[in-house]
Amino acid sequence: MKTTWKVAMLAAVLSAGLVAAARPAAAHHGFAVFDTTARKTITGTVKTFEWTNPHTWVWLDVPNDKGGVDTWGFEGMSPNFLGRRGWTRNSLKPGDKITVTYYALKDGSKGGVCISAKLSSGQELVMFGGNPADDN
Amino acid sequence: MMRNYESRLMRHAKNAFRGFIVAALASVAFASVAAAQGFKRPAPTPADWAALAKLPDFTGVWEVPMGGPGGGFMLPARPSLTPEYAAKAKALAANAGEDTSSANCLPPGMPGIMGEPYPMEFLLTPGQVTIVIEAFSMVRHIYTDGRPIPSDPDPTYFGTSIGHWEGDTLVVESVGFSDHTELAMRTPHSDKMRILEHFKLTDPNTMSIETTVTDPDALTAPYTSTRTLKRHRSWTIAEYICEDNNRNFVDKNGKAGINLTPPGTKATKP
Repeated sequence: MKTTWKVAMLAAVLSAGLVAAARPAAAHHGFAVFDTTARKTITGTVKTFEWTNPHTWVWLDVPNDKGGVDTWGFEGMSPNFLGRRGWTRNSLKPGDKITVTYYALKDGSKGGVCISAKLSSGQELVMFGGNPADDN
Repeated sequence: MMRNYESRLMRHAKNAFRGFIVAALASVAFASVAAAQGFKRPAPTPADWAALAKLPDFTGVWEVPMGGPGGGFMLPARPSLTPEYAAKAKALAANAGEDTSSANCLPPGMPGIMGEPYPMEFLLTPGQVTIVIEAFSMVRHIYTDGRPIPSDPDPTYFGTSIGHWEGDTLVVESVGFSDHTELAMRTPHSDKMRILEHFKLTDPNTMSIETTVTDPDALTAPYTSTRTLKRHRSWTIAEYICEDNNRNFVDKNGKAGINLTPPGTKATKP
């Protein structure tokens, strides 16, 4: 049941997703800098979660192959949009180990646009989640 | 002596007349500004407030649901352009930047601002409907107090909007748009563009907004689209300060970019 919902949601993201890409594009910016043809994942530790307009930003510390740590930046939907779809400013906390699914920056910089974040509890928070409940 | 007096009188009269002409011309010249700025709305009476209760209930926060027909993420059909404006649109597309100026936090104008994937709130007061738009924290003022549509308004992003009620439908006509605004995506307009909107409830918590753009220079037919909004009684309009943490940009050559400096890091010169 839950999986069906998730699959439906992801389908909505990816089909609506690219239609959607045009709309949030119109909302604030386009997707020219992102490679939306391939979804990638990366695991790390949350450094900060910026709950700000026009976009939230997940800053993730990721071990590199030189024994150090790189900070990656992932842009998300706005707090206005996410706040109506189950997210809060505390959804991701510094120190949380998470796996981010994202579209990478085309220029190879350490970042991209966040599609979803999977917590160590297994809970997956999606960025482009569907419509909020009817509250009338 | 008498002649002198007469000629002085004549001179005085001539000067006075000249002054009168100058004043008359000036008042004609400023009449259009006065019409725009000087319309004096009478103080609302208890009857004016009571009359609002007879209008359809537009109160509260509304949003276009994603995905569905007329949904926020569906783009309306393309406008039918005159050859001159089709060529302009083609040239614009050919030289299009990787992004629009909204990446730098400039809001879209009309009609684009009404198609943002964010909610809006309707406030009805005597003589005015105010739309509070969450995207970019914008406001539209629609005057329903009987003032005329200005003939030569200053061009602005949202134009000047004059409305009236036809039964349960709010009809709004807007004129006077800046060159920043687009008729549709990457489609310019002329200074003759007019936008007609029909706002009505199609059921108690559903609003339909039909938008018709006319522009005798740019369009061969009216460009119409309809959006369907759902009311959310538990929502409030949130703040949207685009400049707060905007890491996206488009530079003057049209190249899009992103600032990936993590928060708390001292900026380094590029």
